[in-house]
Amino acid sequence: MHIPDGFLPATVCAAGYVAAVPVTWYSLRKINQRQNPREDIPKASVLTAAFFVVSWIHIPVPPASVHLVLNGLLGAVLGYFAFPAILIGLFFQAVMFQHGGLTTLGVNALLMGLPAFLSYYIFRIRNVLRKDSKVMTGIFGFLAGFVGLGVSVALFVVILLNFIPADFDIATERTAIYTLALAHLPLMVIEGVFTALVTVFLQRVRPKLLDSV
Amino acid sequence: MNMKWNFVASFIFLLLILALPMKTYAHGARIEYTVDVTIEIVAMYDNGEPMAGAQVVVYAPDDPSTPWLTGVCDDDGCFTFTPDISKPGIWDVQVRQAGHGDMVHIPVGEDTATTAAPGGYTVFQIILMSACVIWGFAGTTLYFLRRRA
Repeated sequence: MHIPDGFLPATVCAAGYVAAVPVTWYSLRKINQRQNPREDIPKASVLTAAFFVVSWIHIPVPPASVHLVLNGLLGAVLGYFAFPAILIGLFFQAVMFQHGGLTTLGVNALLMGLPAFLSYYIFRIRNVLRKDSKVMTGIFGFLAGFVGLGVSVALFVVILLNFIPADFDIATERTAIYTLALAHLPLMVIEGVFTALVTVFLQRVRPKLLDSV
Repeated sequence: MNMKWNFVASFIFLLLILALPMKTYAHGARIEYTVDVTIEIVAMYDNGEPMAGAQVVVYAPDDPSTPWLTGVCDDDGCFTFTPDISKPGIWDVQVRQAGHGDMVHIPVGEDTATTAAPGGYTVFQIILMSACVIWGFAGTTLYFLRRRA
């Protein structure tokens, strides 16, 4: 899911950074408008650490292998903190493990961060319906995790398909991209279930942690 | 007249002897040699899984923008090629599969490296690096929890 250095034209990498700036600014502005902007920093910090680590958890889906992303979970639980959290997590992944890249940091942040916003809005629907219902929390938690990753994969595919270098065989690369995208379907279910479990668990033991979203 | 015929007959005799198929031994020797530098790359994902079927593009030092060779990794993620040693310098090899991959720069010539594993970390290094970053996040968490209290 992480696009490494050297796989996108410089203009696209630059456009990724340019687009990531206003999204980060918007997130921070929304956070700053809260009564206590610092209140959710501990929660965001813990989930950033989780986001940083889970990319090492690989799930074999023959013939490919996929890894957990958890952007849907971050969106559901962190709300507007999700985008800065994903940006920081991606930065450390790129610097420490060359997972992704610094030139593609903006693009990768948009790939995983924008769907996190969507997950946040999906999860908020439970507030309109029955906020205290664990069933509703589970259902919308699942949808947040499932859709968050699904939209990320869709964006990933669209970007890669449009920027396959001419030196490579386009048909072969296209087939490989589609195969990888299909391999993410089981992962979408896994992340949906995981997000549902975490949100229901939080609602049971520390419902206050979900109050802000 | 006789001498002339003797000379012609001797000459023909000499030619016949030279033309006879017989085993001869030369006194000089010559050894020819050819040096083939074969480069084998092994491409794998960071979880150790081989990049089977990944596309490979090789760029020669004299023209790093035009592919010198293209190919595909085998099931073990291996790809072998013989660079043109008349083109010493840095040979770039790019491997790609579904938007994932890397590029390696291989010196060919006097500075030819026999093996290299750029960017590889041991499991212990990965755990240690992850632990350091997690420690930073945990510290941030504890700091803001303390302030709030």
